Amino acid sequence: MTSYLVRRVTGALVILVIISAITFYLFYAVPRDPARAFCGKICQPETLALIRHNLGMDEPLFVQYWHWLVGIFAGRDFVQFGSCPAPCLGYSFATQEPVFSAIVDRFPVTLSLTLGASVVILAFGILTGMIAAWKVGQPLDKIASSSSVIGASLQIYFVGPLLAFYLVDTMQLIPRPSYVPITENPLDWFTHLLLPWVVLSIIFTANYTRMTRSQMVEQLAEDYVRTARAKGMSSRTVFFRFAWRGAMIPILTIFGVDLATLLGGAIITEQTFSLHGIGELAVRAVQNTDLPMLLGVTIVGAAAIVLLNIVVDVLYAFIDPRVRLS
Amino acid sequence: MRSHSRRIASMTAVLAAGALALAGCAKGGGGGAPQGAAGTSQKPLENKAVSAIAVGTAADSTGPAPEVTGAKSGGTVYMIDRDDFSHLDPGRIYLNYNASVSKLFTRTLTDYKRDDAGNIKLVGDLATDTGTTTDGGKTWKFTLKDGLKWQDGTPITSADIKYSFERLFADFITEGPDYAETWLVPDAKKPFREQYKGPYDGKELDTIETPDDKTVVFHLNGAHPDFNFTVAMTGYGAVPKAQDTKQKYDKQPFSSGPYKIVSHITDKSLDLERNENWDPKTDPIRHAYPDKFHMEFGIQAQQTTERFLADAGNDKYAFTFHNAVAPERVQEVLGNAEAMKRSIQGLTPFTTFYNINTKRITDINVRKAIITAWPAKQIQQIGGGEINTGKIATTVMSPTVLGYEAFDLYGKLAKPEGDPEAAKKLLAQSGTPNPTVVYAYNQTPTQEKVTVAIKEALTKAGFKVVAKPLNAGTYYDAIGPVDNKYDIYWGGWAADWPTGSTAIQPQYDGRLITDNSPNYTHLNVPEINDAIDKANAITDAAEAGKAWAAIDRQIMEQAAIVPEYYQTYFGLYGSGLGGVRFDPVWGEQSAIDIYVKQ
Repeated sequence: MTSYLVRRVTGALVILVIISAITFYLFYAVPRDPARAFCGKICQPETLALIRHNLGMDEPLFVQYWHWLVGIFAGRDFVQFGSCPAPCLGYSFATQEPVFSAIVDRFPVTLSLTLGASVVILAFGILTGMIAAWKVGQPLDKIASSSSVIGASLQIYFVGPLLAFYLVDTMQLIPRPSYVPITENPLDWFTHLLLPWVVLSIIFTANYTRMTRSQMVEQLAEDYVRTARAKGMSSRTVFFRFAWRGAMIPILTIFGVDLATLLGGAIITEQTFSLHGIGELAVRAVQNTDLPMLLGVTIVGAAAIVLLNIVVDVLYAFIDPRVRLS
Repeated sequence: MRSHSRRIASMTAVLAAGALALAGCAKGGGGGAPQGAAGTSQKPLENKAVSAIAVGTAADSTGPAPEVTGAKSGGTVYMIDRDDFSHLDPGRIYLNYNASVSKLFTRTLTDYKRDDAGNIKLVGDLATDTGTTTDGGKTWKFTLKDGLKWQDGTPITSADIKYSFERLFADFITEGPDYAETWLVPDAKKPFREQYKGPYDGKELDTIETPDDKTVVFHLNGAHPDFNFTVAMTGYGAVPKAQDTKQKYDKQPFSSGPYKIVSHITDKSLDLERNENWDPKTDPIRHAYPDKFHMEFGIQAQQTTERFLADAGNDKYAFTFHNAVAPERVQEVLGNAEAMKRSIQGLTPFTTFYNINTKRITDINVRKAIITAWPAKQIQQIGGGEINTGKIATTVMSPTVLGYEAFDLYGKLAKPEGDPEAAKKLLAQSGTPNPTVVYAYNQTPTQEKVTVAIKEALTKAGFKVVAKPLNAGTYYDAIGPVDNKYDIYWGGWAADWPTGSTAIQPQYDGRLITDNSPNYTHLNVPEINDAIDKANAITDAAEAGKAWAAIDRQIMEQAAIVPEYYQTYFGLYGSGLGGVRFDPVWGEQSAIDIYVKQ
């Protein structure tokens, strides 16, 4: 198990380095000069040269990338921005704040949004999926299945403002979504994030309902389930101990990917509710041609995916004893 | 001034290019406006131009600012907008959005005072008047007022002002204007940083004298009769030596104005509270009615529009500096009498136009034919009508510039949809009845539609149009080179201060043509260059205004641009606020007269 983990984590680090190098290179492949953003309206050529020097952009590309890598461990000094202590991912070109602290600052928002929504997604998605599978072909199944089709076809930017208008502005049942740190006031944290959780989960829950239902139906038709039934096990045991476990493996896989994607930024939800999370950072980084920030959020998103993949693989072993890690 | 870039990818590119950016671009939805907005039936807007811009007297420069009727002190004012302020260090400020907030905590030698009629006067802010010059604008003397203090109670002295200009030469201050720096070194032709490197190694700039604590004398390397307008730019705001934290100053500047910064969380919020050491008697411009300001960022125009319409909770006490009414909600707002009572409209200093590359299209009749055939009306309709775009322009200078004269050499107001027959006649005179023109444009959905309209209109007049789509992200890199291969391309401009010198010279002085310079038309006419020099030497502001208007006419006679819009702003604020006004100098909402209704 340990050697397996060491192997996987090393692999993950190599992947992250490769991703960062590619992002770095792609950014500079665009014929655009980020230094221009630091130059006044009537930009003198000598000022532009000074800025390129201040940003370290007068060096060859691989030297710049090397400095970026070294900065993560040793910190860096920039003329344009001042010092950047380790772990230094550079300064944002757009907001002039250290990229690392911007990400650290915003991560709790994205984490709260993701975890809260995950609870709703898993609880409702799997529950309704199982009910549908349990009552397959019956009215309850039809209701669950059709509402999941409706849910899956809704869009966050449609449902979000709509619910905000009714629940927040008109009925004033819940406060306007924003982020209150859980350490500051757990109740406010909960109520202020309730709407984003619900909206984000409407779309995802529907997917999990459909997935759980089809997986369960599939599993229930498997030979081993039939065998278990033939041996006289109760439907309940067959349903929960056998079929459920089998159905969970693909759901876990998809959930791992979804969770990682959300951790990399629930872009539309964050934009809809003005939540200052990683997703908002990513969008702004792209809009502003903000390479350091772009690299930073790319790495965070990639790290989330790589790490959660490892976690999911480890969890397989617990759910399905047939999977051995070494 | 550089204005705030919004929404459309092309606009982002504009900012990234560091060239110029759009005010009120929030209006440019990028995806084209809803059908309803394009109609001609919409109510006419009161986008009155500034009635007059004048240089005020010492009496005009005396504080306190005249009371706003009905205003009371107290309460918290909220501000919601899309972006955080990218810079707060005055030396690094060019953007109008940054300048608007800076007015609350940064003071300059001179500044603009607006009266109820919308007239604007340049007055002394830190200085007792707008400065004096006895040699036609080469030497400028400013005297500081009594009772000026920093937020810690220490007096603001002439040494502080000198230092504020010296630090602009430092290698990390690159974003702001560099007029004064270029004029304060011995040789204006050589890069200014080669001649002075800033105060951080202990060296002073001898061209700024401080004979006593209250007097600052600037010795410029040439005559600049409107230098008193130059120093009104936020970029020349005061910074105290004792509090200069260099790069970090950008996040937490030290206040000389009515408010001071309590906290600034990048991209999230900015909190201001009253600066007790600011004396209203020294300030002819600012009020300080609210106790606090709480500003939040990351809120898109669609959301601010919804929140202002809902007018619930703290949003009642909210305004926005920059976010305009979202284009798709404009009709709804226009039809909502209650919301219209708390709406703000105005003409921004920003103008847009289509550059005609005079190096490639050398025949003046061909250029005139382009303007004559241009489908101004169709383009405006595609953009969502006047309220989403602006008034159709016919001159180089905006009505917000001192001396602006309205004229329409090519009859664009009479035939805004274009006059192909008249254009054909002009082309017949040119000897090339069917010239080929290359139109380069930002490849956005709206611009695609605009291009179809342009192509159609020009083709009708006999042109062959080659449309060349450019990547929005690299638009300015593509049109920047002097030997670019395009004939017509869009551009925008706003004067750095409301006189012709920055409205016209950077763009139309043929001696300034280099790659990526703002002279995108590559116009180089000796008579215009001479006239620019003469206008720059006129000390009387009103006389200079007339001279610039005459140059404006000369440029239009040369048919170097197809003017597009004088850009407009249309925004909302909460019902609990009074004194929310449009700032015609910055083209967005102003915070300095705001009060909470009680």
